[in-house]
Amino acid sequence: MAPVVSRPNPVAVGTIVWLGSEVMFFAGLFAIYFTLRAAAPEMWASEANKLAFPFALTNTLILVSSSFTAQFGVFAAERLQARSTGWRPSQWGMVEWFFLTYALGAIFVAGQVYEYAMLVSEGVTLSGNAYGSAFFLTTGFHGLHVTGGLIAFLLVIGRGFAVKNFGHREATSAIVVSYYWHFVDVVWIGLFLVIYVLK
Amino acid sequence: MRANVVLMWVLAGYFLVAGVLYIVWNHNAGHPFDPAPTLTILLSAGLSGLIGFYLNAVNRSQGGILLPEDRLDADIDDGDPEIGYFSPWSWWPFILGLGGAVVILGLAVGVWIALFAIPVVLIALAGWSFEYYRGNFGR
Repeated sequence: MAPVVSRPNPVAVGTIVWLGSEVMFFAGLFAIYFTLRAAAPEMWASEANKLAFPFALTNTLILVSSSFTAQFGVFAAERLQARSTGWRPSQWGMVEWFFLTYALGAIFVAGQVYEYAMLVSEGVTLSGNAYGSAFFLTTGFHGLHVTGGLIAFLLVIGRGFAVKNFGHREATSAIVVSYYWHFVDVVWIGLFLVIYVLK
Repeated sequence: MRANVVLMWVLAGYFLVAGVLYIVWNHNAGHPFDPAPTLTILLSAGLSGLIGFYLNAVNRSQGGILLPEDRLDADIDDGDPEIGYFSPWSWWPFILGLGGAVVILGLAVGVWIALFAIPVVLIALAGWSFEYYRGNFGR
């Protein structure tokens, strides 16, 4: 009689291990930021004043709220419910929650593009000085990650529409994309605290 | 999986202690605080802790059912389950790799080349993601 054994989902565990490597990628970016800041504190004092704190705070809250909507999408995917059964949010399926998440994430990216345009008009550019390089490298790589997450949400939503029977394999892709989204969200909270709050 | 969890937490604890030790030692040796190595060592603790935390969560959600390698009475073939669905063959990884290579080439020699390659990457991504969601093999 063979014993009952269990296997963790290799896709989910693999995603977490990969996110571990992403931790170290952002560790490098944070190290760049802090090193440059330590080398030129007076530049930070003058350049960081150009940041619009209320705008960034609003954008941050939008991104954080998108993590919650993504999690509700995961709960729907875990009930194997792809589509809504009614108009109330409690009846939404994964597709509706992920569309909402996508919209919130897209607002965040659009807000960042607007913020970049404002900063460039005030003379903060990628090649301008050390502060500009540090600011655009850290937030830019984060923005690229958010954009990648948006594409991933589209692919998962597409699978929700394309599949005949929404099953555990589709739920797994929804869950791992949400892991990635939460990770990118937490990294942004770190970046926000370091760049906008600590200045 | 218990052993894996403990190993990851031991690593996390080691990096945490090493990071604090580094900060103190660096300071006592009279050097200025250097964020690059400090952050790298401390976030290595984050890297190990993240995996340890997740494996622990998976382990608990299994409700006491162990992996075959954690059981003394398991047979070799208990560790040989169906581990996933793998495409027997596919052109999409090749196309995605080609598109990615041309994007990087474009970044190196001229951005206009990358602009032509980005659609190839997007098409390959969609093609790979939906390969088994349409046509004869659609789920």
